[in-house]
Amino acid sequence: MTVRLSIVGLMKRFGGVVASDNVTLDFAPGSLTAVIGPNGAGKTTFFNLITGKLKPDAGQILLDGVDIAGRSQSEIVRRGIGRAFQVASIFPRFTVEEALTAAVLTHRQQTSSMLRRFPLPLALARAREIMALAGLERVASTPSRFLSHGDQKLLDIALALALEPKVLLLDEPTAGMGPEERWQMIERVQTLWREVGMTLVFIEHDMDIVFKIAQTIRVLRYGKVLAEGTPDEIRSNADVIEAYLGTSLEASA
Amino acid sequence: MTARMENIIGILLAVAVTAATLAFGGKALLDVLMRLAIFGLLALSLNILVGYTGLVSFGHAMFFGLGSYTFGLLMQSGAVSIPVAALLTLVAALVWGGVVGMFCIRLDDIYFSFLTLAFQMLLYSIIVGFVSLTGGDQGLMGGIPRPPFLGLDLTDPRQLFVVTMAVFVTCVLIIRQIVQSPFGFALRMIRDNAERARFLGLPVQRYKLIAFVLSGLFGSISGILMSLYVSGAYPNFAFWSTSGDVIFMIILGGITVFLGPLIGAAVFLLLNDNITRMTEHHGIVMGVVLLAVVLGLRKGFLDLLDDWWRARAGAVR
Amino acid sequence: MNAEALLGCFAAPACIVTQVSAGMIIGMLIFLVASGVTLIFGVLKVVNFAHGSFYMLGAYLALTVYGASGSYTLAVLAAVVGVGLFGTIFERFFMSRVYNADVLMQLLVCYAFILILDDVVKIVWGGDFLKMGMPREFALPPIKVWDGYVPPFYAFLTVFAVAIAVLVGALLRFTQFGKIVRAAAVNRQMVSVLGINTSLVYALIFGLGSMLAGLAGALAAPVRAAVPGMGFEILIECFIVTIIGGMGSMAGAFIAAIGIGLIRSFGSIGFPLASEGVMFAIMAIMLLVRPAGLFGRKAS
Repeated sequence: MTVRLSIVGLMKRFGGVVASDNVTLDFAPGSLTAVIGPNGAGKTTFFNLITGKLKPDAGQILLDGVDIAGRSQSEIVRRGIGRAFQVASIFPRFTVEEALTAAVLTHRQQTSSMLRRFPLPLALARAREIMALAGLERVASTPSRFLSHGDQKLLDIALALALEPKVLLLDEPTAGMGPEERWQMIERVQTLWREVGMTLVFIEHDMDIVFKIAQTIRVLRYGKVLAEGTPDEIRSNADVIEAYLGTSLEASA
Repeated sequence: MTARMENIIGILLAVAVTAATLAFGGKALLDVLMRLAIFGLLALSLNILVGYTGLVSFGHAMFFGLGSYTFGLLMQSGAVSIPVAALLTLVAALVWGGVVGMFCIRLDDIYFSFLTLAFQMLLYSIIVGFVSLTGGDQGLMGGIPRPPFLGLDLTDPRQLFVVTMAVFVTCVLIIRQIVQSPFGFALRMIRDNAERARFLGLPVQRYKLIAFVLSGLFGSISGILMSLYVSGAYPNFAFWSTSGDVIFMIILGGITVFLGPLIGAAVFLLLNDNITRMTEHHGIVMGVVLLAVVLGLRKGFLDLLDDWWRARAGAVR
Repeated sequence: MNAEALLGCFAAPACIVTQVSAGMIIGMLIFLVASGVTLIFGVLKVVNFAHGSFYMLGAYLALTVYGASGSYTLAVLAAVVGVGLFGTIFERFFMSRVYNADVLMQLLVCYAFILILDDVVKIVWGGDFLKMGMPREFALPPIKVWDGYVPPFYAFLTVFAVAIAVLVGALLRFTQFGKIVRAAAVNRQMVSVLGINTSLVYALIFGLGSMLAGLAGALAAPVRAAVPGMGFEILIECFIVTIIGGMGSMAGAFIAAIGIGLIRSFGSIGFPLASEGVMFAIMAIMLLVRPAGLFGRKAS
């Protein structure tokens, strides 16, 4: 089996709390993986370590065999790990089209030009492609701050797509959404994954969603890997059942 | 509107205003327009930082002072012609802006304002303290020689007016080009969300520094024009109250529309001149006006127009 | 640069004593103003750019009350209470309206007040230098220290400023009010959910910070001439001190303020033209080496 992203023995401590305890996980190219676990399991920390927002105390993060652990955020982005945030991080005064064009220009390192006019046609064309992929064409000329909550999250994901990532990490793409909106969002994410063909990892609390769409599921608890496998395997895993029933399914769902 | 159309319209407008003023206007109008060009350029140059990059500099007058003193001193030395002196002044502004900027951009928000203010006061104290060179409190005395160059004689107010207008419109069009370029939009990304811009791979610090230097360069050009206009240079060019005035101008006109600062400069000069004529307590009146704008409108005049406009169309400015 | 004079001073204990005591009062005045700014910033997360003007107001109030009553104690009290009240009003009616706006708006509200207060002072007290002179209470023979003499008022000012700093520190650390303030600094919403009137807390803190500025003004009145615009000079020094000392750190501000005071006072002998430059150089080096300042946690 080829591996796109390989995490080996990842450690991170905050004072006495071990937020990532010897985490070892592999992600195959083009896979769709859900990361779940009770609150405080270390899911977001896991993402922060991979994207370089936090420096690991020990361990390796191998992207296509190259160790990127401890490198700067911008270098990790450049090497192909994109990320969307739990709270959408966007450019409030840019329209959707402008924001995506600017992101594409940044990715192509064309922002230093002062002699030409924004937007450059090629970048604009690429931005429109991404908009089509993300289903944002209907709001192309809406300033980002006026977008609905769901569209802001979509735009956040689309901004990450502008970097043409090999691996995309989504931190709770459906957080704060109503039931109907959630499913729309997750279908959109699934379509994106299929069309772009990247490796997608997402954190999610809604178990219906997780078990319906994920190819594999990784369960974290207390910073440790509790279980990994297909949805069916996880469903019947005794440790997982105990972890969730032990802490109450409601609270963590 | 394409870049070319903007340039043509800008140049035509400037030529028309200049020609009409020369044909029909008196000395008074000439003076008003020259001051407007000088302070309009100063305000527009500051807005590269405030409006487009989201960095509130409270020390912009340092470039105004630096430009006028460097240029004035070079001319008084008698060693160089006007264009050479102007060029050397730009080099000085580039160096000063680069060095000061490297410190200032290390800090965000209010601390950036602090630091720009502090560096400006450093320059001010150098100007006031270095009496043998700068004349201290008295300013650069004895006038600034303006030897003819390229067939232009700047001792003639009408020729000075034409040159000032030409420099002004050229600078405005260049600034316009910069803020509408991919670079300009990168600055807007920093203004809107620097963290996200960094995460998209933008070298945020470097861009902030470039913006700082550019803003300073145009500010120093405004200073050069000022020293030609008043034939001297005075410490208060580099004083904090001048920085405050420029911020006042851009907030009056609006920071989100390109020409807002220019309109603001016009309104400010109009207010200032009339208040000065009517009362000696001009600080109180200006302070109250400022409070009314900030707490009442909460925006500049053109910002308000822009909001109304954007409710229909929609684009970043 | 006059190295000879400076070395000469270091060789003479009398000169050292004089310069250190002069440096201490400069430093303490800066510290009192800076601690007010730091206190307000620490809790409200806004910078009061008009704080220097509050200091000026304190000096003028003290001058007037001392002139009318002849009592310096009364003068100090009047300045502290008067400026404290003024600061509270300023916070309630003006500053509080721009808490959620960006830095630019906060800066402009303060700038407007700097303009207005400078003019008001000119109208009420005139634009010339005013001097209070040494208060009667301190018309005592100088204290002999080592080989030099320290004016009693200098000693009083230094000790008093330190005492006030300790007092404010204790207020914040050990009282119920201090607990609420510190909690509000971390999470205003939470504190307000707990049923505490955070607007009141904000107003009180702003008032307290302003009282410190008023106090500094009153203490400055006997040793410095009052003049419109005096607030701005100390404001710059106070910013430099906050940057060197570390944002939000009282201890840092204290040490940095003493340092600046000593540089100013010894600089007046050794490098009168460059003492300002030295101040800035230290700040610049600090920004390069330790951007967070002596005691700061995080720069940006």
